[in-house]
Amino acid sequence: MSAARPQRPFDTAVVAARDRENVIVGNEIVRHRLVSRVIHWSVAVTFFVCVFTGMPIWTPVFGWMAHLFGGLTVCRLLHPWAGVAFFLASGIMFVHWIGDMRLEPGDREWLGPKAFAYMRYETEDTDIGKYNGGQRLFFWAAGLGAIGLLLSGLLMWFPRAFPPLLLEFAYLIHDVTFILFAVAIVFHIYLGTAAEPGTFGSMVRGTVTREWARLHHPRWYRDVISGEEDRRR
Amino acid sequence: MSVQQNLEIRRSSASVWGSQSGMRSVPTVSKYIDTTTCIGCKACEAACIEWNDLRHIATEQTGTYQTLPTLHAEYWNLIRFNERDFDGGLVWLMRKDQCMHCEEPGCLAACPAPGAIVQYANGIVDVNPDQCIGCKYCETGCPFDVPRFHQTTGKMAKCTLCVDRVSVGLEPACIKACPTGCLQFGTKDDMVALGARRVEQLKSNGFTNALLYNPEGVHGTGVVTVLAHGDHPEWYQLPRDPHVPILVRFWKSFLRPLGAIAIFGAVIGALTHYTKFGPKEVRGVDAPDRNLPDA
Ligand code: HEM
Ligand code: SF4
Repeated sequence: MSAARPQRPFDTAVVAARDRENVIVGNEIVRHRLVSRVIHWSVAVTFFVCVFTGMPIWTPVFGWMAHLFGGLTVCRLLHPWAGVAFFLASGIMFVHWIGDMRLEPGDREWLGPKAFAYMRYETEDTDIGKYNGGQRLFFWAAGLGAIGLLLSGLLMWFPRAFPPLLLEFAYLIHDVTFILFAVAIVFHIYLGTAAEPGTFGSMVRGTVTREWARLHHPRWYRDVISGEEDRRR
Repeated sequence: MSVQQNLEIRRSSASVWGSQSGMRSVPTVSKYIDTTTCIGCKACEAACIEWNDLRHIATEQTGTYQTLPTLHAEYWNLIRFNERDFDGGLVWLMRKDQCMHCEEPGCLAACPAPGAIVQYANGIVDVNPDQCIGCKYCETGCPFDVPRFHQTTGKMAKCTLCVDRVSVGLEPACIKACPTGCLQFGTKDDMVALGARRVEQLKSNGFTNALLYNPEGVHGTGVVTVLAHGDHPEWYQLPRDPHVPILVRFWKSFLRPLGAIAIFGAVIGALTHYTKFGPKEVRGVDAPDRNLPDA
């Protein structure tokens, strides 16, 4: 990057995205630096190992998933360990992102009509920072969900160590948490890929275009621009 | 133990279709246990170990004559010794603890592995180790605390009602070994009739609360037990009103199918959204009235 280097890197944006965030490089803005992306994908990968080993045990409707891992017995063996890995990864993600995810006063509305209006592309909110209210709520829900899954899962892992009634509730909590999580993840993936083009790039390359930032996160866009101007001055 | 070759199956765990092929009608079988004539000799315990080739495990001193504190993956048949103060004296109660082979088995209801727990047409509830994944769900489902996880095989283990003997016309090993005749084996109807006769006898002998333990909550059991003190099943360490835990039924047969629909629904919802609204494109917003700094 710097002028002192003998050779200019081929792709300055990617180089910048290794360890810097919220900076402009050409027409791109770095949104997630490398460490953020690695953390996010370790959460996603462990989550999906849990999903594909857990769902065939969950109901025989998803029994076919067991073949991905070599059968139901292997699934049963892997699932609790994948769960522990998922919890650890989620914990790291939680600590890593909590600074950016402080809830703002209007966020509660994202639980209701605002989310639907957002999905209909009807909102014209120019006050969206690096993450919108829905993303922040998802972040907190995911953290809570990870704790719920871990605690109930531990009971199911070692049933004889706990009273039977508690176990009946553990299964209930594990199930309810999973259903909510799964539905949320379907929409998370949809929004992160097909529904909002350019977003997936922020999790693989690390960058977004200025236009993407201005459309989806206008306040963050303004902050990044003015920050850049400050730095130039 | 699984001897499924010749046995008609009435119910199978985690089956998408449900139950009974019903090709042949087979009478339901049952064990009969008379706690009033049990002498605590443990011949049935020894016979169970012998026939099922169970490993010999170390016994544990519990302060009574009881062999172990509870059932074990290598010990499917345990005489429980209980002492109670009664009527100014002491009663010494022995009860054969084992799988009850419920009409409505909680273990089977809870089991998530297709075919890992089956109920044969003759009523015997059996673990099929080929299909069992050792998840221990059945421990939560069983109202009698019967199934045990086997550390070496990684599968659940419990009394099979000697299905391998019964299916070739023999009585279970414990029945064969009992020297007092307090254990009997036959059709459920015959065993219930036998129990009713014995209960009448006990009542006329002064045990007015005598009862044949065949609990309704699980639609009756394939092991019926005569209790002299039928008003106190807990004296024998038997639950008063056993039933398949209602929460287990709720999450297993209602919440999980509902959750599957919710997940499919979310996927369909996303596809519908994509078709109706399409992606939120950057080019859609270069409207002049957007008062934002230029890119
Ligand atoms: C294949 C699966 C996944 C894909 C494609 C995906 C994609 C993405 C993308 C593109 C972002 C960046 C959004 C932005 O910059 O505005 C993101 C953020 C995030 N992801 Fe994922 N993700 C996946 C799985 C998961 C899973 C399993 C979790 C589990 C908790 C998760 C938690 C998060 C969180 C908390 C954020 C930050 C807040 C947000 O953007 O909603 N992701 N994901
Ligand atoms: S006693 Fe327990 S293990 Fe035996 S059939 Fe009933 S629920 Fe299943």
